[in-house]
Amino acid sequence: MPECTNPLWPCAMTGAAACLAGFDGMTVVIHGSSGCYYYPTTLLHAPLYGTFIIEEEVIFGSEQRLLQVIKEVASSGQRIAVVTTCVPSILGEDIRAILASHDVLLVDSPGFSGDFESGYRNALSALEPRINPEKPGVNIDGVCIFDPFYRGNVRELVRLLSKANVPVATVFSADAISRVHEASPFTIGTNSDIASGVGENLGGTLGMKELTETFNRICNVIEGADARPVLEEIASEEERIIQVCDKFLRRFDPPRVAIFSWASYAAFAADTLRSYLDAEIACIGTRSTPSPGSARVFERAEGLSQVQALVEEHKPDFIIGSSFERSVSGDTAFVGLTPPLQGKVRLASRPIAGI
Amino acid sequence: MSLKPLPSNTSRFEGCTLTGALSVTTSVCNSISVVHGPRGCAHHNFSLLHATALEHDGVGAPNIQSTGLLENEIIFGGEAALERTLARTASLCPACIFVLSTCIADAIGDDAVAVSRMDWGVPVIPVPTGGFLGGVFEKGVNNALCTLSDLAEPCSPEGTINIIGEKNLEYEVEENSTEIFRLLSLLGLSVNIRFVHNISHKDISHLGEASLNVLRDPGAAPVGDHLKARFGAAYIPSFPYGIAGTLQFLEMTAAACGVPFHSAVSEEISVQEEVLAGFSDLAGTRIALNEPGNASPVSAVAREVATALKMKVSDDGYRVPVPLDLPVGTAGIHRMLHRWRRAIHA
Repeated sequence: MPECTNPLWPCAMTGAAACLAGFDGMTVVIHGSSGCYYYPTTLLHAPLYGTFIIEEEVIFGSEQRLLQVIKEVASSGQRIAVVTTCVPSILGEDIRAILASHDVLLVDSPGFSGDFESGYRNALSALEPRINPEKPGVNIDGVCIFDPFYRGNVRELVRLLSKANVPVATVFSADAISRVHEASPFTIGTNSDIASGVGENLGGTLGMKELTETFNRICNVIEGADARPVLEEIASEEERIIQVCDKFLRRFDPPRVAIFSWASYAAFAADTLRSYLDAEIACIGTRSTPSPGSARVFERAEGLSQVQALVEEHKPDFIIGSSFERSVSGDTAFVGLTPPLQGKVRLASRPIAGI
Repeated sequence: MSLKPLPSNTSRFEGCTLTGALSVTTSVCNSISVVHGPRGCAHHNFSLLHATALEHDGVGAPNIQSTGLLENEIIFGGEAALERTLARTASLCPACIFVLSTCIADAIGDDAVAVSRMDWGVPVIPVPTGGFLGGVFEKGVNNALCTLSDLAEPCSPEGTINIIGEKNLEYEVEENSTEIFRLLSLLGLSVNIRFVHNISHKDISHLGEASLNVLRDPGAAPVGDHLKARFGAAYIPSFPYGIAGTLQFLEMTAAACGVPFHSAVSEEISVQEEVLAGFSDLAGTRIALNEPGNASPVSAVAREVATALKMKVSDDGYRVPVPLDLPVGTAGIHRMLHRWRRAIHA
């Protein structure tokens, strides 16, 4: 049932804008009202543009207004992408034809068409990523400016890849737009919920086990790659984790945890806490649809009332989630993993991926 | 914002009617606001209101239900989805339900008013919104306030004051109302209700008991006019701004309520002198105002304060922040001066 109490996740339009705005050299125009413009702008902290259509254009057509804005932003010399919102997408105008004489990428991603992830994938698909078989290195995948950890993830993986003597090809989606068509044949992931599907997937980078497997695979396919420095660092840091977690367990019971996030981040948090702290995973509530065939038991937590119900039912003593979960955590320990994380300003970009 | 507004179309940039209306309806305690549209519209606004609530020291999160329109409803109509949502929402037994439409629901012609008028067992109040189709943010606020005011019946005024149209998304909303409470108390007047800021559905029935309405700003004039026509109470067009403006507010309010003002004005002059004395170290400092325009009301207040402190306004001076919204009363000036001193010392 699509009805929902206090929905916690953005719409497809915001997902598309998040994908496109992550690329340098891309000018993103939200074709819709000011209300549809302000939300992604404040959420993504990205320089978006808008057509800010009003009733007049809904009645008489938005062509003139759209072309006016395109003309204005074209002076930047950047590639332009237009993302349609709900009302323009049902006006019956042939926006593709309107834009035909302009070098503009059209992404039809109205809010009613789906969730954040579907909009993100739709936009990435519209960019038509291409592989250059000669391109050295690996792509970094699952990077999205909506994710408060995206910058930290990229920095950490660039560091580790450099340590393994592996060049970074294209970062999907936080890179120069020109590199979308110059991707490597190989890709490693950070967040599989927004995987690009570009190149051969060598694995994820969430957690020590996954990271180890992925770097071993990298060495198998990338000439000159040397995983040993990374594997040594993993071993040394994992030892530290084990020591500190073991020390914790000498005095305390393992936590009983409720996790709310993207499916991939949630699974990572669950595996990590179970492995090192013998934690009891009371429930996992996901914003996104888990990959088909996932062995884990996920519950959808798309609205605040669902989150509250899960928290009340499972009575965790540790909650991982977003600011929304924090607001219903009461005195229960809380750690932020999921956007939005409001009320905190981090000067350093912390990663979830990597070591 | 990168695109400059066109003079004929400033409404393009003034935000969403739905957001304006929700900033009012979600401030009615024990009510639920139903947003008839795609889930994203409800999420955008819930996220904004939730963030605002956190900034306001953790005041409770809003309660918003979405009808979650998908492509199927866009094609075949969404009234059934609204009925399902209202049935589910009514079963939660809220004090009342507000139904707010969105651009897309209005564009496909759903009759949210007709669905709201069905018997749901609790009051269901449709608020004219409809995103940009309904107007702009301010129109949403005013529409919601006028709609809610119709829930109250006219009655005999009791000499109290209503505060009308507070900007619930404003970071300093509580501090600003506290200043109004303080100024009114100097005149021996008290506040009837804050319409609408964290009040109950029942509180609204007392709206007509006030003798005077104080509007947050002149943008709420249509609400002031509506209340005057319905309850007969006059209104003060805005909260007080500036040194002289604050004293004038006391005089205007006293005159409207038929109470003496000389003592209150004298007392406030003393407060203002004390505040300014606390910043006497800034005298002679050259400052440049980060302002929207020399002729703006904000600029006028900032220059009045600078003059009172014998500061010099000059383009080559220290760049000091000027609030986006006018500082309210003497307390607002006090806070603004602290920000100026911080900028000068930075």
